[in-house]
Amino acid sequence: MALNLKRKRGEDERSRKAPKLEEGSDISGSGSEADDSGDEVMQDLSGDEGEEEWGGVGDEAQPVKSAHNEPTSSISKKPPTGGELRAIREATDLYRSSSFKLQIDALLPNIRPKLSRAPPLEKFLLKLHTFLKGLPSVEPQHPLDASRKLLSKGVAVPYCSPLPIEDTNWKVAFEAPDDITLVGSWPNKISIKPKDGQKYGVDVAVQMPDEKDYLNGRFFQKKAFYLAILANSIRNPKSGLNVDVHYESTSGDPRLTKLVLVPKSDGSQTDFTKLNARVCIIPTTSTNSPIPLHRLSPAHANIRINSTKTSGEDTHSPTPVYNNALLTSLSPKPHLLSTYNSIHSIPAFADALSLLRLWANQRGFGEGSRLCVKGFESSGPLWSGLLELVIDGEEPSTSAASKRKALGKGLSSYQLFKAVLDCLAKHDFSKHPALIKSTANHKFSVNEFKEHHSATLVDSSSLVNLVAYLPLGCLDLLRHEASKTLEILNSASLAVDPFTDVFLHDHRDTATRFDVIFQVDLSTAKARESSLHQSLDFGSPTDYLLYNMNTILRKALGDRTRAVAFLQPSSTPSNPSTRPLTQAHPSTSSTIFIGLVLDPNNAFQLVQHGPPADSTDTAALNEFRELWGSKSEMRRFKDGRITESVVWDVKTADERSHVPAMVVRHILQWHFGLDESHVQTWQSDYDSVIRLPKEIAARYVQVAAGSGVGFKGAIKAFDGLVKAVKALDDKLPLSLVSVSPVSESLRYTSTFNPVPLTPALAASLPPNARYSQPISIVFEFEKSAKWPDDLRAIQKIKLAFFEGIAAGLMESVPGLKASVVLGSGDLKEANNELLDKAFLEIVTPEGWAFHARIWHDREATLLDRILDDKGPMPHIVVSKKRKQAERKGKEYLDAVEAKEVYERRYLHAPRHHRAIAALAHQYSAFSGTCRLVKRWFASHWLLGGHVSEEVVELLCAQFFVGDGKFVGSDAEIPASTLAVVPSTKERGFATVIRFLSEWKWEDGGLWVCLYGPRKEEEAEGEGASKPDLPKASTAGAWIVSTEVDQGGKMWSKGGPDAIVARRVRALAGATWKYLQTIEDGTFNVKGLFIHPTEDYDFLVQLNPSVLPRYVHNIAADEKLLNKSGKFANAVAKNQDQELVRPGFDPARSLFNDLQTTYSDTFRIFYDPYGGDMFGAVWDPTLKEPRSFRVLGGFSSLPAKEENGKAKDRGLVTLNDAGVLGEIQRLGSGLVKSVVKQYS
Amino acid sequence: MAPSTSTTVNGFTVLQVAYSSSSTHYIYSRKHIAKKTDTSTGSTSKRKTGADLPTGRTLFLVNVPPDATERELVLLFKPCGTVERVLFDFDVQEQQRDDDDSELEDEDGADEEDDMEVANAEESSRRKRRRLAKENQVPKVVSLPETPHRTIRKTGLTAYVIFLDESSLDRIASLSSKTRPWPTSSEEPSGLEHYAAMYQNLRPPLDSIREHVDSYMELFEYKLAKSKQKSQYRKGEAIVDEDGFTLVTRGGAYGKTLGGGVGVATKRFQRSGETARRRPKKEKKEKEGFYAFQRAEKQRTELLNLKQKWEEDKAKVEKLKQSRKFKPY
Repeated sequence: MALNLKRKRGEDERSRKAPKLEEGSDISGSGSEADDSGDEVMQDLSGDEGEEEWGGVGDEAQPVKSAHNEPTSSISKKPPTGGELRAIREATDLYRSSSFKLQIDALLPNIRPKLSRAPPLEKFLLKLHTFLKGLPSVEPQHPLDASRKLLSKGVAVPYCSPLPIEDTNWKVAFEAPDDITLVGSWPNKISIKPKDGQKYGVDVAVQMPDEKDYLNGRFFQKKAFYLAILANSIRNPKSGLNVDVHYESTSGDPRLTKLVLVPKSDGSQTDFTKLNARVCIIPTTSTNSPIPLHRLSPAHANIRINSTKTSGEDTHSPTPVYNNALLTSLSPKPHLLSTYNSIHSIPAFADALSLLRLWANQRGFGEGSRLCVKGFESSGPLWSGLLELVIDGEEPSTSAASKRKALGKGLSSYQLFKAVLDCLAKHDFSKHPALIKSTANHKFSVNEFKEHHSATLVDSSSLVNLVAYLPLGCLDLLRHEASKTLEILNSASLAVDPFTDVFLHDHRDTATRFDVIFQVDLSTAKARESSLHQSLDFGSPTDYLLYNMNTILRKALGDRTRAVAFLQPSSTPSNPSTRPLTQAHPSTSSTIFIGLVLDPNNAFQLVQHGPPADSTDTAALNEFRELWGSKSEMRRFKDGRITESVVWDVKTADERSHVPAMVVRHILQWHFGLDESHVQTWQSDYDSVIRLPKEIAARYVQVAAGSGVGFKGAIKAFDGLVKAVKALDDKLPLSLVSVSPVSESLRYTSTFNPVPLTPALAASLPPNARYSQPISIVFEFEKSAKWPDDLRAIQKIKLAFFEGIAAGLMESVPGLKASVVLGSGDLKEANNELLDKAFLEIVTPEGWAFHARIWHDREATLLDRILDDKGPMPHIVVSKKRKQAERKGKEYLDAVEAKEVYERRYLHAPRHHRAIAALAHQYSAFSGTCRLVKRWFASHWLLGGHVSEEVVELLCAQFFVGDGKFVGSDAEIPASTLAVVPSTKERGFATVIRFLSEWKWEDGGLWVCLYGPRKEEEAEGEGASKPDLPKASTAGAWIVSTEVDQGGKMWSKGGPDAIVARRVRALAGATWKYLQTIEDGTFNVKGLFIHPTEDYDFLVQLNPSVLPRYVHNIAADEKLLNKSGKFANAVAKNQDQELVRPGFDPARSLFNDLQTTYSDTFRIFYDPYGGDMFGAVWDPTLKEPRSFRVLGGFSSLPAKEENGKAKDRGLVTLNDAGVLGEIQRLGSGLVKSVVKQYS
Repeated sequence: MAPSTSTTVNGFTVLQVAYSSSSTHYIYSRKHIAKKTDTSTGSTSKRKTGADLPTGRTLFLVNVPPDATERELVLLFKPCGTVERVLFDFDVQEQQRDDDDSELEDEDGADEEDDMEVANAEESSRRKRRRLAKENQVPKVVSLPETPHRTIRKTGLTAYVIFLDESSLDRIASLSSKTRPWPTSSEEPSGLEHYAAMYQNLRPPLDSIREHVDSYMELFEYKLAKSKQKSQYRKGEAIVDEDGFTLVTRGGAYGKTLGGGVGVATKRFQRSGETARRRPKKEKKEKEGFYAFQRAEKQRTELLNLKQKWEEDKAKVEKLKQSRKFKPY
């Protein structure tokens, strides 16, 4: 056999070389003599050329090097030679781009086994071959006797059901194998590295003596015995093989059991541990075996059990899966040959197959110790089958519906890869069975497959249906993933190279992949209807149950989902796929994960229509009732129809996104008896982190029921206010042109549902739940020359306007309260007279609070005059010295700040608001994603003080707008695009967190196509503008650009700076890691939002009973939210007009004061949503004693040193105790204690 | 932890103030000496500082508590003598800038003294008083009502304490020998009450706002009118200075956009005959690729670019390879 092997390899090498020779000679003519000694000698460019086609890319570095060795001047001046040109052109034309091709070339060697480590394996195989050939035969005996004998030696015979019984009259025997062949991907050199450090598989087909008994599993019983004998003899130390022997069953089917040999490390010549491979022994039978093939067609019934329980007709129903398993035992050798042929007739076959399998492995369609898609555990032949399908096409007689043209053989690996994805994305194997064209005619007709298999893909060499085992939902997932990848590859923006995403990223994590995830405990699952016969057909009851479950779920969810995938790790350390020889049957894991990929257009529909009640088709009616059980009801709808239907009861808007989960829960309960406790989801836990505590929320709903709460209520209140202000037109000197909302409460992205707060309601709430979030709006009046041409005066005129509006509103709307607010009380702001500070505070009778500002565009011009180099009067030449003095002057600095505020407040904020609001309408999951991500930032003490709300919205938006093709368009978004977009907030959240944990903001900014697709020139311009970016990036580290803000600093200027940005990444990384624990069941949503406080130098603990926002705290203590607090008297003392103070948040004010006062002393963090703690970190440089300076900028104390010299040198150090004392005083009444963690 | 005897750092006497039993704050003090050049205020203020901060009875403080009020500092230095007033770092700068303005505006600075008294009041009201001293018909700005509140400044700032009597400064040394508690004035609340008061302060009654704005605008109009009267610039009128030179200004396409003097068009207009708006560039006259050598050249550069890009890509991938980027798992 080894000779056989050797010969094959030799042939392999020769044929590998031959085309190279041809290529080489027709390009340059000089390649011919260099060819003889293999890859390494191929130095000239034709060699490079040959490499890319033949995948021998191991020495890619060499041509690069040789190019570099040339004198650089000659590179730049000499035009490329013909050969080079051809290589370049080929790379650019046949691949996505030339760098894509180079990356593929660099990638491939890394996923292939190191052949230098193969010799011990070859020696081992040789030894194994001789050993197996020399095995003594075993007399025919009764199967049970035989198994008893073996069991006493510690080897169980993996008989499958129906198990042999005492009165069986057939016998089992053993004879040395006729033929031993190396099969699978190893001999063809197309193995690729499996995930998670698992071992390469080297398959050895051992041909059993001819067998013709294919009925009732007797073939498999004999096979099992054969395997057991092999196992027993290999295990025997006398064999000299020194390997561990295990059983493993492909896809958990005991009929497809094989032996797995893992070497024990002993340093001998046959020890191939270093290769990280394992040898699998697969018993096969010869292709010209006496089993009549037509008996194995899918329509044939080969399990005929004469049980009294089953009815007569059952015994003759077809057994397609059984037949398929039998055919599989015939297939390895023909398979090997056909793949071998493909590899040698199609140049890019091997590379394309590697790419495809890598792609599949990265998405869990293969083996791995993390969650993998059910049914793809040993799908090796599937991938080569798919390639064959796109290259050779289908059998002409098959599906007439989808005729795809066969592709040529000369395509590049990338083109083939993409063609397979395209086929996967478009071809529905369940509706249109695919029979790959083969030289020999297929023996079974398409219809037979169509009738008995749910999905069909039959390869050219054998009659095996490659997708027979796959639950349809998992096949859907494959389709979904393929279209997702195609979308990425086809996306117009060339700025981001999709290579990493397609090949290098691990996409197996459930959180970003599925919209809804369930963890189901199967231990008590019992199908409501199951047939013994089918269970036998499947071979394993668990597999049958899962297959059944998947089919029913898929049917029930219908067009709500794109895919219903079942996930299970194929092999984990605790639950390996292999089993010891003493265990006859594969063990099954009792938990399974179900992942749903939703179709947002239909997923959240509340009503599911069935057949009309008066339908004559009673079968359909019954089927519907059967599917839905008690949920199915007869209903009459508005349009007069009376149909059988299912209606899902939803109370709040949040709950609507739970409908798909409700469907799954109901189906599992009804069909499989799995109640709530066995099916776990995390959706409502996510909801609870962006919701008020129950009692408080209930009170809001009670009191404010009339006016409506939430975003709808806020928008209604806003519209009402606009109307009221417009009605004042005749009372105001200028008429109102427009009112722009600029608040997250009006664009569906505020973490909490906006709520109104009336004095009456406030009185009934505990004092630490009386926060009212004002909603910002901007008034724009008609243009007029009446405005003064002076910035200070303009601010005063605004006051007058506010006063007029306030008076007018209070008169016209009873119950409305309005007051003019002079500013935010910030010292820096108060000193800047050019700044637009004042705003109008309106509290509507329903309790909605608004903050309105006036936009006057003349301000910009006036500010520019101060800022312009020319000075206020362009014709007056200003001396350079004076200009510089002005630069430093207060007026100039004030103007800089005022201009910035002006632009942000009046130009960018309204535009941002409109874009985000539109996005929230377009994608239902967007608003939830923003809210969760904001909550995350807040609970990790970053929002507000370091990260602005707007930048969070932009970060979330990037995953929804994509390349901006569909921004602002009313057109239906194609399904392929929607597939990439998260459909639930949980998935969106996970996606953003993953991004944050990986984002390399140091390397460049992020471009969000919030305002439409990016234009080419902009993309090009970015490269040019990069050099001056670092200069501007002193304050904020993040660059998040949009079309209207090319600099990308509008919303990230105030932070995070590099230190905080690194912290964000670390926190996101930890959160992302924690999200992975979904897979092992220890996950708790709240845990994502618990902030670790150990890192802070000191913590300032606030008194929760005086914080108006405490109710928003992520872990609010319910006891503290009781109305009858300790300070009941103090509350009673207050006037009731003080009950509603929109925007009054002393903790926030204190935080801001501390942040500005001690900006050079420490960095402080705090959760703006009701956080009851500040955390701060000292500036580490202040710890060192330094010489005294008048404007030191920190609170110091004279440094002490023993010899007293310090005083002479005037060294001072940070007075940390003094600072903490100051904090305590600044926050008296608010601060409970200051806790020093490190000194 | 605090040294008990008086200490000096770089010529500053260290004053120790205890916030609580556990924390002590250190204020550095020195007699104020008027410097010849004060970098932060510029040359114009040189002669003013003398008047501002009388040498001999002014104490210069460094590292004043961020929330210190005038009253608290007065209380702190009570044992040394009566404090005339306290100037915080911020106010000093502002005031000096203010004075610069006023000096430019009106020739005589005689009313400087009473100006000082309202150092902490709003700028507009100060200006108003100044005017008042000169001309009685100047409108008066009604300031907005507010309850006293603290200003929280940046930490580590400076302040000037001006004593009534020169002898007070000598008593400072004795003050530094022991740690004294920080006097907290109850007039201006701090902490939670401070924020509540600020919240209230920022929302004055509507009628007072109306009054304030009206009076402010009145003053504004008045000033505007006055400056118009004074201004030399008037549109269309030539300005001739005492030497007989006519002022010529530049601006706009035809020199008409600007206010005063004789207008001359902008340089851009003179040069190109175009106003600021951009016109599309004219097409090149000569066709590209007309001559064979041009085509050949073009092709060559294209090929070269192609090769260059290829090499760049190669180098990039090589670099990525080195950073082990291509290990998918």
